[in-house]
Amino acid sequence: MDIFQIENLSFAYPESARPALDGVSLSVAAGDFVVVCGQTGCGKTTLLRMLKRELAPHGQKSGRILYCGRDLSALGDREAACDIGFVLQNPESQTVTDKVWHELSFGLESAGLPTSEIRRRVAEMASYFGIESWFRRDTDSLSGGQKQLLSLASVMVMQPKVLILDEPTSQLDPIAASDFIATLQKLNRELGLTILLSEHRLEDVFPAADRVLMLQNGRVLLYEKPHAVAEKLRGIDAAHPMQSALPSACRVFAGLGGQGPCPVTVKEGRRFLSDTCVSAPAAPQPEKSVDSGRVAVRLSDVWFRYERDLPDVLRGLSLEARSGEIFCILGGNGAGKTTALGVLAGLLRPYRGHVLPGGKRRGGRKKDGCCGQRAALLPQDVQTVFVMDTVRKDLGEACAAMGCDRQRAEAMVADICERLGVSHLLDKHPYDLSGGEQQKCALAKLLITEPEILLLDEPTKGIDAFAKRSLTALLRSLADTGVAVVAVTHDVEFAAVVADRCALFFDGQLVSEGAPRDFFSGNSFYTTAANRMARHLYPWAVTCEDVIECGGRNRRVKP
Amino acid sequence: MKAFACYHPAVLMLYFVAVLAIAMFCWHPVLLALSLAGSALFYFTLAPARVFLRESAFLALLAVAVTAANPLFSHGGATPLFFINGNAVTLEAIRYGLALSVMLAGVVLWFRAYGLVMNTDKFLYLFGRALPALSLVLSMAMRFIPLFRRQMKRVGDTQRAMGLYREESLPDRARFGMRVFSAMVTWALENAVETADSMKARGYGLAGRSHFSLFTFSGYDAVMLAAIAVLTGVFAAGAAAGGADFSYYPRTVQLSLSAASLAVYAAFGALCFLPAFIEIKEKIKWTYFKSKI
Repeated sequence: MDIFQIENLSFAYPESARPALDGVSLSVAAGDFVVVCGQTGCGKTTLLRMLKRELAPHGQKSGRILYCGRDLSALGDREAACDIGFVLQNPESQTVTDKVWHELSFGLESAGLPTSEIRRRVAEMASYFGIESWFRRDTDSLSGGQKQLLSLASVMVMQPKVLILDEPTSQLDPIAASDFIATLQKLNRELGLTILLSEHRLEDVFPAADRVLMLQNGRVLLYEKPHAVAEKLRGIDAAHPMQSALPSACRVFAGLGGQGPCPVTVKEGRRFLSDTCVSAPAAPQPEKSVDSGRVAVRLSDVWFRYERDLPDVLRGLSLEARSGEIFCILGGNGAGKTTALGVLAGLLRPYRGHVLPGGKRRGGRKKDGCCGQRAALLPQDVQTVFVMDTVRKDLGEACAAMGCDRQRAEAMVADICERLGVSHLLDKHPYDLSGGEQQKCALAKLLITEPEILLLDEPTKGIDAFAKRSLTALLRSLADTGVAVVAVTHDVEFAAVVADRCALFFDGQLVSEGAPRDFFSGNSFYTTAANRMARHLYPWAVTCEDVIECGGRNRRVKP
Repeated sequence: MKAFACYHPAVLMLYFVAVLAIAMFCWHPVLLALSLAGSALFYFTLAPARVFLRESAFLALLAVAVTAANPLFSHGGATPLFFINGNAVTLEAIRYGLALSVMLAGVVLWFRAYGLVMNTDKFLYLFGRALPALSLVLSMAMRFIPLFRRQMKRVGDTQRAMGLYREESLPDRARFGMRVFSAMVTWALENAVETADSMKARGYGLAGRSHFSLFTFSGYDAVMLAAIAVLTGVFAAGAAAGGADFSYYPRTVQLSLSAASLAVYAAFGALCFLPAFIEIKEKIKWTYFKSKI
């Protein structure tokens, strides 16, 4: 039976020339796990919201949506609210009440269930999701992953027949994100719950999905089984922008022109590589020399803790950032990576050790910023960079602080916006931009201060594959102008592509350091999917491009 | 290990209302003494020793001040002891001042104990029944305040890290404050829209919203409720028969030992020492269990 049947659905927002959805027709079978993907602005969110009556946007609508054979608008209020569960993107703002137990019971209170029934269902959900140990806590004291799990559980208590999630993992770190996806998979497998999930990190969700819906400009591009999506996408356009968002196995398969069913997981990809390629003893290509570049800032044996009675966060951290180099610091959650950036940015002062600008000790203590060096910090939550109601005014604010006169300010803004490709966004409200656009505009504001050191905190959080690629190019071009870039990230795939030097942060200090190839090929778990897939043949290949190149040169000759 | 606090909020509320009503409006010295002793013992079992001592010292000072001040302002009474500036300082006024300070100390301690026993959750639970919308709003506010504070710190840190506003310049600091504030207003509105979506998605606004809480009314609560009701009833009956009457002016009356008075003393005494008794019993029980393990 079909849970949803969408017939020729079109939708346009008021005062918008282009329709957000254009003739979408598809049906979702009961028990399916459907992943909705596409570039930012393709209509994912609009489509998902149209399926939840309470959240449907206002505008010009045509076509029909049937829920279990009945028109969505014909459902009773109670049925519409309870049967279709919806989890939003931001775990912070969708938490309504102050206590975990109250959040869990919120929907059931709305539905007007008696206390005994609420008690039973809340207890059941809390045990299923492992919430018992923090059942009586304040919602504010939870981690991001816990908050999003709570959002999910507080929708699940209403016993929905279908669960819709709009980019639920975009604000989570990769480990919390894969835990969350695993929970969804469990719900789908154990309860037969129908799930519609929009995502831009496809590596984890592709293997879980029954169907993948790919949208483009409000139209259905593909609606297929996961392995078929990769094949058909290649058929449509080999250089399609969504190609780079696919899991590594699919990309390698496409890059090597594989035939037959497309691999989706690392396991399948590994098998495919073994079948098509032979190993090569080739030495890795010489990398850009690691020791080039002037030292922009050096931390030497830095110790830091937030309060006297709290444990140390940094324990003898030493590192160097060099001009013209991109340095990625990887590491687990709560390891103190963000704290290290705070010290580099001059926001936090270590109680032992030195922050040395230019790598050398200088006389006197400098008051501002990174010891007199111009350091700019792009925070995890890029929204906090903006304080005005248009991007232009925000950039103007930065120019004014730099003491530029009007003419120079305008020239500078125009120049930077040109380089970052954000000129068309200048008169928009910063909050109306997509994640990737917001990030670029925030970077523009930072660049106006002409930093010598650019510090980035989780730059790939919440942006799609396409924005990630343009960020990579952007950081590279900045580094080429002599800026020292230091990025703290969870995203190994990103680090493998962008970094000149990587380091693993553990227990308050850097434990291993090296060029990405040496760094990742030395790790067996903490490495890219491409490397895990190809390490038995090409241990030094860490990006999909590396694997495709090596594989292409060393094809197995068919007997 | 607060045994008394584990009772149902309604029972607790009733208890505090009953005790405070009597402690605040009866001037009988025996009742005042019982109220002070009961509250002090109860507070002693709840609060850390240092806090208890600090509080006691403060109340002792207050008592001395009130006792000394009353005869200076009130000159009624039939037994003048000496004269200051031609005004009589009477024995009755001193006695009245003493009674007043004992009452104040007792009431303050009852309120302190109330604060430790009845947290916001319990209060919301009790009054949320009457005003469900208010209790939800309060719960949302309690959620929003820390969120707002954290976001404000984030925005401030980000702006400070960019170094656009110099710390030493006053106009810059003012501008910094203004910018952060305006960013926070936008953020709060944005956040509110998303929260509203999340509420709508979970059926907020459907007719017949119910009210859920973690508190359950058990047999122990019923027994406690009955005990409170009986003791208060006995007290009321005794008081109606004149058992709680007492007057300080013009001449302090003799303490009565009539049946009604004895009933009033006993009932109120039991009521006042009830929570302390429960706490101490629990403490002994746990110590005993511990020694057995």
